[in-house]
Amino acid sequence: MKVTFKIQRFNPENDTKPYFKEYTVETHSNAAVLDCLNDIRWHQDESLSFRRSCGHAICGSCAMNMNGKNGLACQTLIKDLKPGTVTVKPLPSFPIIKDLVVNLEKFYEKFNKITPYLINDGPVPQKERFQSPEQQKIIEESTTCILCASCTSSCPSFWADDDYLGPAALVKAFRYVFDTRDTAAEERLKVVNDKNGVFRCHTIFNCNEACPKDINITGHIAELKLALVTTKL
Amino acid sequence: MKKNIYEVGYRYHPGTVAWILHRLSGLALILYLVLHIWVIHNLDNPIGFNKVMGFLNEPLFKFLELGLWGVIVYHATNGLRIITVDFFTMKGAKFQKQMFWGAVAIGIVIFIAGAVPFVGHLVK
Repeated sequence: MKVTFKIQRFNPENDTKPYFKEYTVETHSNAAVLDCLNDIRWHQDESLSFRRSCGHAICGSCAMNMNGKNGLACQTLIKDLKPGTVTVKPLPSFPIIKDLVVNLEKFYEKFNKITPYLINDGPVPQKERFQSPEQQKIIEESTTCILCASCTSSCPSFWADDDYLGPAALVKAFRYVFDTRDTAAEERLKVVNDKNGVFRCHTIFNCNEACPKDINITGHIAELKLALVTTKL
Repeated sequence: MKKNIYEVGYRYHPGTVAWILHRLSGLALILYLVLHIWVIHNLDNPIGFNKVMGFLNEPLFKFLELGLWGVIVYHATNGLRIITVDFFTMKGAKFQKQMFWGAVAIGIVIFIAGAVPFVGHLVK
């Protein structure tokens, strides 16, 4: 089958604003969008820029906006998309570096704000820091985040103010706040309680729609909100 | 430094629609409250108040009142949906779409229940 791709192009050296260019690819319905983008770059237009790495939906490099919905190009199959022309755009709201490559500096800046690593000043145990299956179950879903930035770039609160921590950083905050091995929950809750923190979430649910790992992001954020109103900081 | 080039926008789904309508209905309610306070402030002058009330009895305002009722009902039912998400966190967020349609359905029932006496009054 032949599939037409309408891809947003932008080269800061020559263009003043982004424009669309169409490509037709001979492919099959089980192919991923990433396969088609590779095909275009290898056989039609080698100037097309996009990020990709593992191709197995675990590195999060190839997150982009396909037919108006964020997702991983390697995970989105042609048959999952509406038949007809596939419109591919870079992730919304992040500054475009070239074509489908965006600058994620702001995204990682927010991520670092919530100190995304285990903090435990207690004595180091002989074996692992023990956690029961029940305790692991609480944070299991939030640990599957691959930091592809699909959620944060889909969030209207983040578009309005990029000082907002954003869904990805908040899911990571949840992951450590509710980790029984971690002792810095209070510090993280303070960061999350900031005016640019969790209460800028207006339950729009774009993040839940966008997440390629199907994490219930708004649910996790609601859990943080509830923790903030029920604990004394 | 060169200006950053970026675009925003996302495909609509029940969550976005619910949010946009909630914002718009909230703004409409603020506008109504301002008008309402303005009407009430005329109470210190009986003649002026009667004049304002006479103006507000025009059919146009009867029709707008029906609209106000709709706005209140939507804002309230969707507000309950958001409160449900806030308190039933994971489950609440998981069923947000169903809850949106539920809020709309319950809202329509409440709207009709309230609109019947409204319209009856208008016809009289």
